[in-house]
Amino acid sequence: MAEPILRVESLHKFFGRLHVLRGVDLTIERGEVLVIVGPSGSGKSTFLRCLNRLEEPSAGQIYFESRDILARGADLAQVRRRIGMVFQHFNLFPHMTALGNVMEGPRTVLGMARRDAATLGMDLLGKVGLEEKAHVRPAELSGGQQQRVAIARALAMNPAIMLFDEVTSALDPELVESVLQVMRRLAEEGMTMIVVTHEIGFARSVGDRVAVFDQGLAIELGPPDVIFRNPAHERTRRFLRQLLREEAAP
Amino acid sequence: MRYQWHFQVILDNLPVLIAGIQLTVAVSALSMAIAIVAGMAVALARLSSHRALRWAAYAYTEFFRDTPLLMQVIWVFYALPLLTGINLSRFAAGTLAVSSNLTAFLAEIYRAGITSVSRGQEEAALAIGMRRSQVYRRIILPQAVTRVIPPLGSMWVSLFKDTSILSVIAVAELMYKARLVAVDTFRPLEIYTAVAVIYYLLAYPQSLGVNYLYGRFRVRE
Repeated sequence: MAEPILRVESLHKFFGRLHVLRGVDLTIERGEVLVIVGPSGSGKSTFLRCLNRLEEPSAGQIYFESRDILARGADLAQVRRRIGMVFQHFNLFPHMTALGNVMEGPRTVLGMARRDAATLGMDLLGKVGLEEKAHVRPAELSGGQQQRVAIARALAMNPAIMLFDEVTSALDPELVESVLQVMRRLAEEGMTMIVVTHEIGFARSVGDRVAVFDQGLAIELGPPDVIFRNPAHERTRRFLRQLLREEAAP
Repeated sequence: MRYQWHFQVILDNLPVLIAGIQLTVAVSALSMAIAIVAGMAVALARLSSHRALRWAAYAYTEFFRDTPLLMQVIWVFYALPLLTGINLSRFAAGTLAVSSNLTAFLAEIYRAGITSVSRGQEEAALAIGMRRSQVYRRIILPQAVTRVIPPLGSMWVSLFKDTSILSVIAVAELMYKARLVAVDTFRPLEIYTAVAVIYYLLAYPQSLGVNYLYGRFRVRE
């Protein structure tokens, strides 16, 4: 079997005395969509942010494309080019247009010619359905549109894997679907993805595997059918019940 | 008894006052140009990960912010030559003192601007693979600088008037010239009134200019 694209071994993270990750082991294969669910404070976002070292892990190993990215001499900027990330609050660059945001990585990081970067940028904006907003600043876009621009910005680096950190949590409910649709299409195209989310419907239909986080550990891992129909842990059951209740409520 | 105003003395001495204005503008513009660059350097040093650099910038800023400008001017002109053997012209000493002082204030303004840019901006830039220097150059500084245009502008306008302090070391700027004329003509009230008006007329358009710049470059978020 081929080497997994990402392999995480007994990852620990402390914030001061708070033990947020308590030994997480996970591997992700190429082309796989891994969905991470769990109650807030369970460490799922922190886990994701450790993968490109926006958070510095306290202990453990992370191998990305067979390279030890926690090694002393690891070239972080180099590693991050290959790992796309999308944030809950979009974090678009407000002083640039939508197109400028998408071109920024290729231009500044890869040194791509302006014309090529613009062509690539327009392609990607088309892909997320926002060609006509290319020359608009983020402040003039809706949250859903901003998030799709952010996805295009990450894709512009041609990453080997995409990390989604609760990307629909800050959106008005009616805008969520437009973002999920883009993610669904990406998954169909074979992009390797790790998705931290509360969208159970998405997890069920798009996820190849689901990991349930609780108190800093991946307590359960398996295909969505199994996790959602017949979870092994009482804590998973409780969490799912809670989530379903929230979804049922208006 | 009513005071008789004789504003004719202003017109009679206009060439002298204009020479003063020219020097005021020269000292201000030069000091601002120096401090705009040096202030950024000090601000970046304050935020650097090098401890020594951080401390040097901190000490610099606090020294110049917490002592009177008047004392700094006198010190640079009279004490510096004694200590270093370097003799500066009045103009050079004055500009050095004023720009050093201004640098400290601008550094603090820049620093506030830089730290006001959200952490998410830095993270987004790092996540696409930028190096720290690129993050600053492309993402943080452009946003920080546009945010601080208003306070930079008000520093510029007040600098313009603060240069009057240089009259104590006989730099021939507007205030110094005014005093000469006042002593010469025994008409201090007219002269100093005129000087106030001149400062106002010079400074006000600049305030407007700053507002215009800010409106032009402001980034909506």
